[in-house]
Parts: sequence; structure tokens; C-alpha cells
Amino acid sequence: MTVTRILTRPGVLRIVFAMIVALSFSIVQTDVSSAQDASVLSGIVVGVEVDENGNLTRFAVSDSAGGVTTFELSASTQYGLENQAGDRWVSTQSDESSEAARHLRDHRERFAPITVSSENGIALSVVEREEGKLEANLGYLFAVFAITWALFFVYVLYMGSKQRVLQHEIAKLKGKLG
Amino acid sequence: MTKVLNLLDPLLIISAALMGLTLYLIFIWVPTELNQGAVQRILYFHVPVAWGSMLGIFVVSGSSFMYLWKKNDKWDRLAVASAEVGVVFGGLMLLTGMIWARPVWAVWWTGEAKLTTALILFFIYVAYLMFRAYFPPGAQRQRLAAIIGLIGAIDTPIIYFAANLWSQAHPPIITGPAGDPESTLGSDLGMVLLASTLTFTFIFIYLVQTRYKIRKSEDDLIELKRASTASVMTGAN
Repeated sequence: MTVTRILTRPGVLRIVFAMIVALSFSIVQTDVSSAQDASVLSGIVVGVEVDENGNLTRFAVSDSAGGVTTFELSASTQYGLENQAGDRWVSTQSDESSEAARHLRDHRERFAPITVSSENGIALSVVEREEGKLEANLGYLFAVFAITWALFFVYVLYMGSKQRVLQHEIAKLKGKLG
Repeated sequence: MTKVLNLLDPLLIISAALMGLTLYLIFIWVPTELNQGAVQRILYFHVPVAWGSMLGIFVVSGSSFMYLWKKNDKWDRLAVASAEVGVVFGGLMLLTGMIWARPVWAVWWTGEAKLTTALILFFIYVAYLMFRAYFPPGAQRQRLAAIIGLIGAIDTPIIYFAANLWSQAHPPIITGPAGDPESTLGSDLGMVLLASTLTFTFIFIYLVQTRYKIRKSEDDLIELKRASTASVMTGAN
């Protein structure tokens, strides 16, 4: 009996189908709060405002058309910013507000572009502008896809050559046994 | 004799078609995730291969249990085929995870719970296959391998819950019964993840089926060698 037959047995098929349905249901049930619904602006940091404790309170971004937009912050504002060396810092306004101010000042001094997603003038996320570093990021992406395909390809080739050797030996022995 | 690598195999055709659709979804359809940027697209491969590696150990343990119960060689073949494909998926899970971690965490590897338990799963697969390779063939090897396969499955729930049990750097669970309801996974992103998972499930089934056929041929060859030796000895007497 081949694996195909085992896998196409109604019982096994039902289990596989149930697993797929359970997985899809759990994903669909996931509470959706995608950042893509918010408005997005990319540009250079031109102003950083802090309170007496050094916590970030507001910041301003200048876009490519020269317009300046000021963003307020909420406790849940997320940050994903990199320093000059490329080390990524991820945090939220409630956790590390003063660190956020330091990173934004650093971006202002370096003229490093950022992308801000916002709703009603309140920043939801402040991240590195990816278009500015496509090559670095695509390198990692390319590596993953290349390795995955290479490994699958090599594995299938290995199985093919193994089967050829086996078929040859089986045919030889069958011939011997008459 | 059946051809192992048949390009007209329905599973291969379905897998290829689904992979084409998945690649379109990953690179053209789904928007770029704001917090991680382009590297986030790695997760559309990383999560499905991680799912495949866990599915593998499920099949290994399930068929090991069936072998111990029914003593039918087909279950042993299914276990070994699934373990070998599981090693491929497990290795990919580790590699893709490391490549994703480098730009996001700034390190290739960290000793946090999810990563460590995933590495243990990979070693369980390797240990299972090494045991089978070095132990003399026969019913005892199959029995002991089945027991190793059953013990190995214990690691699976630990991996799944690790991110929630020990809140460390790894993102929390977003799918399944322990999925985080506050997850920021968008509907589009979730849809692509689901499509990719389905695609890799078909690839997993196709590879297991192919490896199973080879295992069957290996068993046939052992039987023929035994018959050949017996006929030589009969001739000598």
C-alpha cells in the first residue's frame, strides 16, 4: 500500500482537513488591527519635543514635498528604528519614551528617513523607511528563498539518484534469481 | 516498477500550482509590514516550514504508535519517511529563523526557549535517523525506533507554547488554540500565511510519499538479497 493510499483514506483525510480548517479558523479569528488601514507618511525628522523628564511628547516629519507634519503620541505607539550600524531597536512609547526621543534625534542628525503610520494625528508606529535600505533587506529575503529552494531541490535529486541505484540493484538481483 | 519522481504526480502538480500562487501573494499582493519591512516576508516561509517540522514529528509518533500496535512494516516506513522529511523542514526552520533574526534582533541566534526547543526537535530527528542507520536491521530496530519517535513528540507542545510560557524575544503565538487575540497580524498577512502553510503542507505530503516509495524499494532489495543468499546456500548444499 502506498502512502498516497494511506493519506487518501477517509479517516486520515478528515484529520488533515480538520487541521487545515482549524489553522485557517484561528488565523481568521485573530483580532485584526493592521497598520495598513492607517495613513502612512515617509520623510525626515525635523523636530523632536520632550518633557522635563526627557520623554518624547511630539515629533515632526518633513516629507518629500516639503510639508511638515507633527505627530502626537500614545502609550501604544510602536518604534522600530535602527542606529547607524544597522542594529534595530524595537519598543513602545510606554516602555521607553526617552529612548525613542534619543533615536529620533539620531535620525534627525543623520537625515535618516522614517515611515510613520498614524490615525487622527497620533502616531501608531514609527519605523525605519525600508525603501532606503532595500538592498540590505532583500539580501536576507533572497538568502531565505534561495536556501529553501536549494535544499528542496537537492533533497529531491538525492531521492531520485537513490531510487535509480535501488532499481538497478533490484533488477540485477531479480535477473540472478531468474 | 513505479517511477519515484513522476512529474505528473497530482500532489506535485497541486504543490507547484499552490507555490506559484503563494509566491505571487508574498511578493506582489501582500503589503509590506511596517515594523519589520521586507524581512517580514521571510516569516511566510519560516512559519510554514516550522509547521511542517512539527507535522513531521506528529506523523513519526503517530505511525510509531501504529507500528507498535499493529506490527505492520508500512507504519515503520511512514515513520522513517516522515522523519527524514522532518529533518529537511527542521533544518529550514532553523536556517530561515536565523536569517530573519539577524536584521530584526541583531543576532543570528540566542538561547531563548522557543529556539532552544526547536533545536532540540531537530536533534531528535537526527538522533532518530542516526539510530536507524547504525542499529542492525530487524524488528528490534523498528521497535526501539518507534519508542524514540514517540518520546520525541513530547517536544512539540513545548515548542508551540514556549513563546507564551517564557516570554522572551520570539514573537508570541499567533495561530492555533493558544494564539494571541491581541495579535497585530493583519487579515491580508494572515491570509498569505495560511496559503503558504497549505502549500508547504502539500510539499510535505509529496516528499513523504516519495520517500516512502524509496523505503519500500529498500525493503524489497533486502528481501531479494535474503532470497539470493538462501538460493546460493541451497545450491551449495
